[in-house]
Amino acid sequence: MNWLSGAWAVFEKDLRLELRSRYAINMLIMFVLSSLLLVSFAIGQDAVSTKMQSALLWIVILFSASIGLGRTFVSEEERGTVLILQLSVPGSQVFAGKLAFNYFLLVCVNLIGVFVFTFLLNLDIIHIGLLATTLLLGSLGLAAATTMLSAIIARTTNAGPLLPVLLFPLLFPLLLSVVSACENALIGGFGWAQSGSDLTTLAAFAGVVITASVLLFDFVWND
Amino acid sequence: MNKHPHIRIDRYALVRNTVFVWLTAVVVAGFLVNIPRINILEHTARNLYFHVPMWFTMMAAVGVSGYHSLRLLQTGSLIRDIRAMQAARVGAWFGVLGLLTGIIWSKFTWYVGTDVWWNFDPRQTMASLQLLIYGAYFVLRSALDDPDRRARIAAVYNLFAATTTPFLLYVIPRQLQSLHPGAEGNPAFSDITEPVMRLIFYPAIIGFIGLFWVLYTQRVRTAWIKYRVIRDPEL
Repeated sequence: MNWLSGAWAVFEKDLRLELRSRYAINMLIMFVLSSLLLVSFAIGQDAVSTKMQSALLWIVILFSASIGLGRTFVSEEERGTVLILQLSVPGSQVFAGKLAFNYFLLVCVNLIGVFVFTFLLNLDIIHIGLLATTLLLGSLGLAAATTMLSAIIARTTNAGPLLPVLLFPLLFPLLLSVVSACENALIGGFGWAQSGSDLTTLAAFAGVVITASVLLFDFVWND
Repeated sequence: MNKHPHIRIDRYALVRNTVFVWLTAVVVAGFLVNIPRINILEHTARNLYFHVPMWFTMMAAVGVSGYHSLRLLQTGSLIRDIRAMQAARVGAWFGVLGLLTGIIWSKFTWYVGTDVWWNFDPRQTMASLQLLIYGAYFVLRSALDDPDRRARIAAVYNLFAATTTPFLLYVIPRQLQSLHPGAEGNPAFSDITEPVMRLIFYPAIIGFIGLFWVLYTQRVRTAWIKYRVIRDPEL
């Protein structure tokens, strides 16, 4: 119980700060909206295959995650609150709280992205449950990898553009599975029947990344 | 006791000379020994002696680099960081060579007449991703100034990346087609390789891993001397 309340406190602190400034969430929404509009203008009137639709959706989500979530730990450094946080709660609770907050942001981005995509690119979703499961599992893996790497780049000197460089090579297995599972949820897809192995991969990826992060986080955090 | 037990010059010289003689013999035999003709491959089959050992060597280098990153987090001694870094750097060069020999080989055999240079073959994709990870690893290192902090953060990234790569072994074969031997539906390596080729192929693997070891230990010693002189091990 103690561990959970510590993690919850970190999450609550981040949420409260976010609600005060609304910087990250506004930036994420604007990024998703403008990049989706760009995509739809660039494609024009042509019909886009479902493979292409799910690939575009996930590329937008990936880029917005690498831009919007990278500030998680950098902002602590800038505010000078790292020492307070290190003294107050153990590293694993800090990681869990930050991960929960990033996951929350990413799920919001997913909702907005799918919603706007449905209008702009005529996304025909037939298996809503499958799509929701895919997005939730995929976002968990993505949020875990991003949280860990944003802790790493907070230790570097000019952190800004480094996160995508570190993040994208690691996300290849996630991207392959999530795009094919998303495709299955759209019209003409195979639905649940063919998505078992993709969903297993997504769950396993999230599990492995979270485990590795918890094991390695203290080496980055306690400097 | 020797004060720096990882530096034994005479033994390094012995290993180096053995590797050079061994590799010269392998290269000469690789080009001169008669091989059975196979359709399409013809004499390009000799590339087996060079292309495949590059992969084995890169995998060995990835293992060495990951092991020393783990030991760095356990002990915190900077020589581990130097070893992990130099294994990654030399291994990346072997990966680039393996990629190049593979691309040129496949262009004129598997994809002849199709005008394709880059194909999303699973092993090619995995190798290029490993190179991307090492590229990111080197960029991350250059963004850190303090040697101790750089050692720890870079080791964390190296290990973190190593946990995601095994997924590729499971995910990629279901998504992409392969023409490599041993992939699903293709005959295994031992079924299509003549005994005479194996007699050169296995020594070639040992020879190129030996070459990796010579280059790697040489760079480690240079970096260690640089660290002793100006407190910065980056070469």
